[in-house]
Amino acid sequence: MDERDLINRVRAGDGIAERALYDAHVDRVYRLAYRLAGDDALAQDFTQETFIRAFAKLDTFRGDSALSTWLHTITTTVVLNGLRKVKRFHTREADLEMADGVGGGRREAEPDLKVRLQQAIDALPQGYRTVFVMHDIEGFTHEEIGVALGVETGTSKAQLSRARAKLRESLADFAGEWVT
Amino acid sequence: MFDNDEGKFEEWLQDAAQTYNEPPAGTTPREQMWARIETERARRAKRRVIELRPWLRWTLAAAALLILGIGIGRWTAIQETVGPGPTPLASADTGGSRALLYQVAATQYLSRTETFLTGFRADLRAGGAEARFPGQARDLLTTTRLLLDSPAADDPRMRALLEDLELVLVQISQLPAERAAHDTDLITQGMDQRNVLPKLRSAIPAGPVPVRTQGAT
Repeated sequence: MDERDLINRVRAGDGIAERALYDAHVDRVYRLAYRLAGDDALAQDFTQETFIRAFAKLDTFRGDSALSTWLHTITTTVVLNGLRKVKRFHTREADLEMADGVGGGRREAEPDLKVRLQQAIDALPQGYRTVFVMHDIEGFTHEEIGVALGVETGTSKAQLSRARAKLRESLADFAGEWVT
Repeated sequence: MFDNDEGKFEEWLQDAAQTYNEPPAGTTPREQMWARIETERARRAKRRVIELRPWLRWTLAAAALLILGIGIGRWTAIQETVGPGPTPLASADTGGSRALLYQVAATQYLSRTETFLTGFRADLRAGGAEARFPGQARDLLTTTRLLLDSPAADDPRMRALLEDLELVLVQISQLPAERAAHDTDLITQGMDQRNVLPKLRSAIPAGPVPVRTQGAT
């Protein structure tokens, strides 16, 4: 079925069409939510909220962009707002401890590259991390990221560049991994 | 040399980062999430009907207070013009009460407008403004215009703020159902350029209104 027909049927209250729309997009939405949240329960909550909002606001979707892009806009908003709320319940000490661990020069204490990379990405400023995850890990284009985050394409590119530079700095003692 | 290194690093990073927060392969819990989506949507649909009531109650209360204030204002103005002239003491007392009434009405109105505009912007960021916003903007617009015609607008800063709000509310109230991003961008750009929300927030007293305004002239 054509996507526009599907949207029209959902707008008309067709439950089967709602499920079809959900099935067509849920994997990508859940995947993005999981990448940004790093937790299955949170990723499920954010995915549910994304679709609840999408169904409630489908009348406002004009079709200027692809439905998937519009859904990812809602996803990133839901996830980033949700993570801010979750963060309030976490102690500041845990964040600081993690930030210390990615300062470089502590390879002996954190020998595992995978762990160090995880920590370095987590320690990126929210905007950089979001762009990095969407572009370098999930393969979104800068245009798609720009629409999803409500920023210019150039901003997305600049944030990705800064994110990579910060990661390179944080992982400097692993330079042998990519220089060879 | 550096560019080459940069390219190698980016290639390596993209590959290594695939393990970052990697979702369990092929296990999107579709059915589980769908069941919860349906339950939650049904629950919110019921709640929405109830949620409209406090909004309506606030609107009516604020409108009644405003009308009362304007009524007292006009009545005392007529007394001053037609009557033999009140004693200076009575005049000062009535003036104080009037000022208090207008301040209470204006503060309630500003608080509601701030809540409304904050919600409107948050909704835009989430992907679009709900259909209820134009209707709510029209309600607030009526109160804005009443306040512009009242002594509350005697203060030049309050008048300027009310005029800014009037413009924003007119734009929101005229948003078409099939709106383009361009329509809402114009509204938010206008709000940002005129610093509407910061000015609005700074105009709202921090404490309970009657306590803050008592004694104010």
